[in-house]
Amino acid sequence: MSENKVVLSVRDLSVHYLTQRGALKAVSHASFDLHKGETLALMGESGCGKSTLNLALMRLLPGNARVPNGAIVYTRRDGSTIDVLKMNQDRLRRFRWSECAMVFQAALNSLNPVLRVRDMFYDTARAHGETNHHKVRRRALELFRKVRLDPERVFNAYPHELSGGMRQRVLIALGLLLDPQIVILDEPTTAVDILTQRTIIDVLLSIKDELNFSIIFISHDLSVAAEMADTVGTMYAGEIVELGPVNDMFYRPRHAYTLGLLEAIPRLSAGAEELTSIPGSPPDLVEPPSGCKFHIRCPFATDICAKETPPMEVVGDGHSAACWHADQVYARALQFTGAES
Amino acid sequence: MEGTPAHRLYDAIKRVVGSYAFRVVVQGILTLWAVTTFTFVLIRQMPGNPIQIKIDQLMDQRQLSYDDALKSAAGLYDFDPDEPLIQQYVKYIGKLARGDLGKSILSAGTPVADQIRRYLPWTLFSVGSGLLISFTLGVLLGMSMAYWRGGLLDNTMTVVASIMYGVPDFVIALLLLLVAGVQLELFKVGDVLGGISQDVEAGFNVPYITSLVQHAGLPVLTYVWTTVGGWILTMKSSTISTLGEDYITVAKARGLPERRIVLAYVGRNAMLPLITRLAISIGFVVGGSVIIEFIFQYPGLGRLLYTAINGRDYTTMQGVFLVISAAVVVSNILADLVFGLLDPRVRVGGQK
Amino acid sequence: MSQPLVELRHVDRSFKQGRVMIPVLQDINLTVAPNEILCLVGESGCGKTTTGKIIVGLLSQSAGDVLYQGRPVGEFRGKERSAYRRALQIVHQDPFASLNSAHTIGQILSYPLKRHKMVHSRAELRRRIWELLTLVDLTPPGDVVNKFPHQLSGGQRQRVSIARALTVEPKLIVADEAVSMVDVSIRVSLLKMMHRLRDQLNLAIVFITHDLALAKYFAWEGRIGVMYLGRMVELGPTPDVIVNPAHPYTRALISAIPEADPELTRRKERMILRSEDIPSLTEIPAGCAFHPRCPFFVPGLCDSRVPPLADAEGFRHQVACLPLTQGDALREYGDAFREEQS
Ligand SMILES: Nc1ncnc2c1ncn2[C@@H]1O[C@H](COP(=O)(O)OP(=O)(O)O)[C@@H](O)[C@H]1O
Ligand SMILES: Nc1ncnc2c1ncn2[C@@H]1O[C@H](COP(=O)(O)OP(=O)(O)O)[C@@H](O)[C@H]1O
Ligand SMILES: [Mg+2]
Ligand SMILES: [Mg+2]
Repeated sequence: MSENKVVLSVRDLSVHYLTQRGALKAVSHASFDLHKGETLALMGESGCGKSTLNLALMRLLPGNARVPNGAIVYTRRDGSTIDVLKMNQDRLRRFRWSECAMVFQAALNSLNPVLRVRDMFYDTARAHGETNHHKVRRRALELFRKVRLDPERVFNAYPHELSGGMRQRVLIALGLLLDPQIVILDEPTTAVDILTQRTIIDVLLSIKDELNFSIIFISHDLSVAAEMADTVGTMYAGEIVELGPVNDMFYRPRHAYTLGLLEAIPRLSAGAEELTSIPGSPPDLVEPPSGCKFHIRCPFATDICAKETPPMEVVGDGHSAACWHADQVYARALQFTGAES
Repeated sequence: MEGTPAHRLYDAIKRVVGSYAFRVVVQGILTLWAVTTFTFVLIRQMPGNPIQIKIDQLMDQRQLSYDDALKSAAGLYDFDPDEPLIQQYVKYIGKLARGDLGKSILSAGTPVADQIRRYLPWTLFSVGSGLLISFTLGVLLGMSMAYWRGGLLDNTMTVVASIMYGVPDFVIALLLLLVAGVQLELFKVGDVLGGISQDVEAGFNVPYITSLVQHAGLPVLTYVWTTVGGWILTMKSSTISTLGEDYITVAKARGLPERRIVLAYVGRNAMLPLITRLAISIGFVVGGSVIIEFIFQYPGLGRLLYTAINGRDYTTMQGVFLVISAAVVVSNILADLVFGLLDPRVRVGGQK
Repeated sequence: MSQPLVELRHVDRSFKQGRVMIPVLQDINLTVAPNEILCLVGESGCGKTTTGKIIVGLLSQSAGDVLYQGRPVGEFRGKERSAYRRALQIVHQDPFASLNSAHTIGQILSYPLKRHKMVHSRAELRRRIWELLTLVDLTPPGDVVNKFPHQLSGGQRQRVSIARALTVEPKLIVADEAVSMVDVSIRVSLLKMMHRLRDQLNLAIVFITHDLALAKYFAWEGRIGVMYLGRMVELGPTPDVIVNPAHPYTRALISAIPEADPELTRRKERMILRSEDIPSLTEIPAGCAFHPRCPFFVPGLCDSRVPPLADAEGFRHQVACLPLTQGDALREYGDAFREEQS
């Protein structure tokens, strides 16, 4: 699977939005590594900062966003490293898409409605120095075949002539045009139908095997993460609170929030099941709660949770969590997953 | 499967009749016909029948008997008031179809078509260039303001544009004349009124063109002044909403150069809502602005209309209205076509 | 079984689009018993919302009969009619769109209470609003009544929508994707509340969703109806439909769904369809609408006749699939089919 070569290393990254009420801390001190060929899924409730984090990775944040601290170190194919936050505009422009591409939520609106699909391919290629239309076309048709689209028809179509699932795959093909090392997928299967979602997942899995790029995948849908990810990170209120291999995260979670999410989603195969939802709602990010931001909603919370921020601690091989009660969570999780099988 | 000639013919007819262009053209013709009929009836129902007035005039001035006056008036206007309305109407439409708009009542004997031909170019030139300047300026400013939203340009221009948008054109025209011309004496009022100075030779020479521009300056300025605000504000809001679209972020993520994003991604999409407005404006260009042309004594179609209304010159009014509506109809068809070119989503028929 | 609350008999519904009529629903037969939970599932555009609206009488059918307590709804006049309208309520997907943002929660709830004369005094109005807010777990009610919809979270807004539907003391609530916009972490609490309301108020609930796992959880004790291109293709008790699905379409859906269990979901057997494109409602395939995509397609049978919803041997519920429901000659398809299941 992953050859353990790190392609992206994010350290202590924070993103704040300037709002009338003050700085909205959309991402706080996020750190993670992405390895070659690895799929990293970030999951969490809506508004927890997943999209913001991903936009920051490509420096696509809106005007009112600030990055007070952090580093986003990217390793090129030749082994040299560069901090995305320190690139000048021109290098940044060339970095985008050729090294790191992005597929947005449902892709319904990600394609310029007045241009044909082919023009968007030509545009992208030209922006990165490839002006030979034949070459671009050949590559595009090849990619369309890989994502199971009718190549000729789609290449010459306008976006509105394609269904949502097709547009999503067009964007995936467009994302792979320049053979990037990383593809970011922001809720790629939200708001599409079950069978379309299945096609997209299958396409992604097969094409990733073939082209061996890395994926950062955001979703609030845990089941898609379970199927696609090698590594899973849970985000809560702008923080990555737990990060680990997919099986550890789903069977042996150490953070109360991860467990809370797992206990809240229905599973088709589980028969009659007892579920519990997480009480309350996500905190205000302008004035976040003290200590562990989850403590207000947490069934395990004790005094320390409100007072001190739990540090991110290694709890297993490649698995770390920031929870004062990781052991109790673990014990409860074993019961929960054990009872299920 | 069904390849008989009759079937093919039927299919061909169905395709033509069902086609977008056919629909648009038929709609245009119907609109024009409705306008013509409406003005025809309206004018004949109005109090103060122009023929009657002329007859009274003739009887007064030349001491003719009623019958003689009637005959001479009818000859003058090519018009028989004794005919039933429906016959008059058929005759009128028949003439129209041949491009004959009848004869002016005020300047008796001059064909209306000739008059329109004489006045129209002035309006086309002044209001047309005004519209062009206004639209271009509005689009550029509106887009810049959206790009640097909340900046100095945006904040000042938003206020200025709203004010400009709110002040009526005749106020601006009078202010220009009275303040800049009479009070500040920036120019000689006499020099800029009218269409062209008397003493220059018509033709493609410097003094003529200078004089042309000089005289058109104030009407154009007034026109731009009163319309540019609307363009700015529309373009700004349209650009802002386009900038928020996902495909703009994606275009940036794709590493496209800023120039390409501004033109093909932001510009083209943000302009779409302005196209219909532009078409309507182009239609009204032809009518000119009655008040502005009156104030500046500019010899355009608007002034022709003004004099025609004042003098109850119904044939001329009828002609001018017809030309204006034809222009509106044609520019709307054009707008539809251009819109179809710019926005593939509205291309109907799905030929491909 | 007791008399059904609502019954649809051979209901069709079409909408005019331009010059063509689009058949959105065809031959829907459905009953909803008092206090029952019925789930309608299917991909977007298959007609779930339209069915829901016909059930509550918000839309009329183009053909067929809609009965309320055994009587055609067209018969109701005057008092009876308003009683019928009150008995059936619908809760929509987007609470933002359906709650007037200019009114406080208290006002939103008091309007239907007053209009339908459900209360007779100010004190009673207040007491009823308090009661309703407590019913939907918006406690303490005093904190909520004077707030505006935008001051509440998505889940709370949806609770208000439900409370509003309850003002008129309905017998049935259609919940149309009512939790789809609510975060996964709090969905379950809404579903549990609806279960409790059903028991407490003796409600029937028609729960519309595109999420099968959610449908399974919510309607485990009820029934599920699977819709495809305007027709009901499978209908039966939830455990049967989910554990032992009959219709190839249902099977495709179930096999396509990823599970929140890494090992399980990666092992899961996938059904490969013959085509990935959903036909449009303007060109519904002849015979069984699913046949161009169905891996068990029987040429000459499936594309010639529309399969009725009928009992199938080996299944405890109804399915609209000819090879499964009839014809001895074709028994083997059904058998192969069932074998593969196990
Ligand atoms: N442009 C913005 N200005 C201010 N706040 C924003 C902006 N974009 C997002 N936010 C806020 O930042 C937080 C994180 O948002 P987002 O990254 O979109 O979350 P997610 O993708 O996990 O749903 C949310 O509270 C959201 O309201
Ligand atoms: N008022 C309407 N006019 C025209 N078409 C409609 C109308 N309402 C629904 N439809 C069409 O009917 C089909 C089914 O819609 P709907 O019942 O909302 O499906 P679902 O809820 O399963 O997504 C869709 O194709 C939709 O476009
Ligand atoms: Mg997001
Ligand atoms: Mg619906």
